[in-house]
Amino acid sequence: MTEQIKATNQANFSYDVEAVRADFPILSRTVYDKPLVYLDNGASAQKPKAVIEAVRFCYEEQYANVHRGAHYLSGATTDAFENARVKVARFINAASDDEIVFTHNATEAINLVAASYGRAHLQAGDEIIISEMEHHANIVPWQMLRKEKGVVLKIAPIDDAGALRMDAFEALLGDKTKLVAITHCSNVLGTVVPVKKIVQLGHAAGARVMIDGSQGIVHAPVDVRDIGADFYVFTGHKIYGPSGIGVLHGRMEVLETMPPYQGGGDMIDRVTFEKTTFKEPPHRFEAGTPPIVQVIGLGAAIDYVASFGMETIAAYEHEVLTYANERLADIDGFRFVGTAPGKGPIVSFLVDGLHPLDVATVIDREGVACRVGHHCAEPLMDRLGVEGTLRASIGMYNTKYEIDVLARAVEKAKAKLG
Amino acid sequence: MTDLSRYEEFVEALEMLDDEEMRFEYILDLAKRHKDDPFPDEWMTDANLMHGCMSKVWIVHEVRNGRNYFRGCSDAAIVNGLVAMMTESFSGLTAEELRAITLDHVRKLNLGALTTQRQVGMMAMLKHLQKLGVNALATKGDRDDGLQPAVS
Repeated sequence: MTEQIKATNQANFSYDVEAVRADFPILSRTVYDKPLVYLDNGASAQKPKAVIEAVRFCYEEQYANVHRGAHYLSGATTDAFENARVKVARFINAASDDEIVFTHNATEAINLVAASYGRAHLQAGDEIIISEMEHHANIVPWQMLRKEKGVVLKIAPIDDAGALRMDAFEALLGDKTKLVAITHCSNVLGTVVPVKKIVQLGHAAGARVMIDGSQGIVHAPVDVRDIGADFYVFTGHKIYGPSGIGVLHGRMEVLETMPPYQGGGDMIDRVTFEKTTFKEPPHRFEAGTPPIVQVIGLGAAIDYVASFGMETIAAYEHEVLTYANERLADIDGFRFVGTAPGKGPIVSFLVDGLHPLDVATVIDREGVACRVGHHCAEPLMDRLGVEGTLRASIGMYNTKYEIDVLARAVEKAKAKLG
Repeated sequence: MTDLSRYEEFVEALEMLDDEEMRFEYILDLAKRHKDDPFPDEWMTDANLMHGCMSKVWIVHEVRNGRNYFRGCSDAAIVNGLVAMMTESFSGLTAEELRAITLDHVRKLNLGALTTQRQVGMMAMLKHLQKLGVNALATKGDRDDGLQPAVS
């Protein structure tokens, strides 16, 4: 690495991004003989050695099914599994590790809330408020519930910069509002929603509140007790953990009122052919063999990011975002999509006159991995009046130099396609 | 005998271009040439749309003398080039001949280098063309009234 690149990448505070990068083996690979510039973290993040090692250790040295079996390996694996639950609880400051329900992804966590809480507590005519910038995962489960139960979906609008219109949100709240389900941070726009305020307003109206933290958990410290939501969901693979593991945090007094989501082993108290009784949360919601290795890998990922501190990671990512905003604005015809104040490190963009897929294809060949398309948020695309966007989503290992590479790749796409 | 002469031309042309960059330019050139023969706006309907995540592709189809003819376009230039390649390659075949085209034919174009995702898109496109051909055989028979928007 040249001295110039090192100088470009130097953070304005103590954060050794080169050391961080060295922890992620995949970042040293090339694509098309070009160094990989991975800016698709919003879709899924790469994994540090600590996570890879935890997964390897589990499969090679300490693996058995959990919560059953009287043998050594089962006990040791159960300890590691439940210890990861404690790590997750501490990471988000949950009141208890019993409030942490493991699912397979954030989508399943939302479906669990819709199927269990929704079916048990919502009636025809009850209103659910979501926003215009939700991921399909926080739209479709509620539409399914609407079809089944006759609940009503209300959509809180955003302004042209991509910020949630709080006045309009408040206007939607009423006696019939029983649930607010809203993103913490838009996966397309990077907009950070004032979730604590949303929870206060939702609770004041007598509604439960669920926050989709899939992006939010990655880019800032999350304190679920401070936020106060009834549910907070996120996924492991975006926070540098394995794929196949999601988390539902639920306040215990709410979880206790909810029936099981799926039936099977591990979630029952006693089964007879006449009657079955169920375990207490969180196990009531974890039917069958859980994603054991993924949970343990998530624990390692949380240890890893916590060793830096989420405040530090957030500050670093913000610095790279600020650099990106300045550097990319210099490109003639570059259009940012989503400019809400205080946004997270997600840069959606268009290049005038060019199809996003064409730009993505050219920059891919420069080694730059970006997402292109509607980002599982078609209603948001309709609201913005675009078919899709390109998205560069910044993670803890991205550098300012990589933003330079992206900018040069976009310039090349313009020259080639224009 | 199945006439795949246009397809063979593409295979040969792409084989000769062993440089990745040149293959890419070749596809872009195809797209530009495709642009010179504009796809009518009135054909860009939902009924003719092949739903995809990243770009839009419209395909229209007709049967003349028992043979299937396709035209298509995309809002993305690179995909437009690929659409040109597919529709030109496999026009003029009977439904039976069309059905005999396999994913190996797409693989032989060796477009994997143009990113795997495009190759997946090409395969989806082939299946779409085959479906149009088979549906026409089952429901409509010959249609000699010029290119009509296909109902997929």
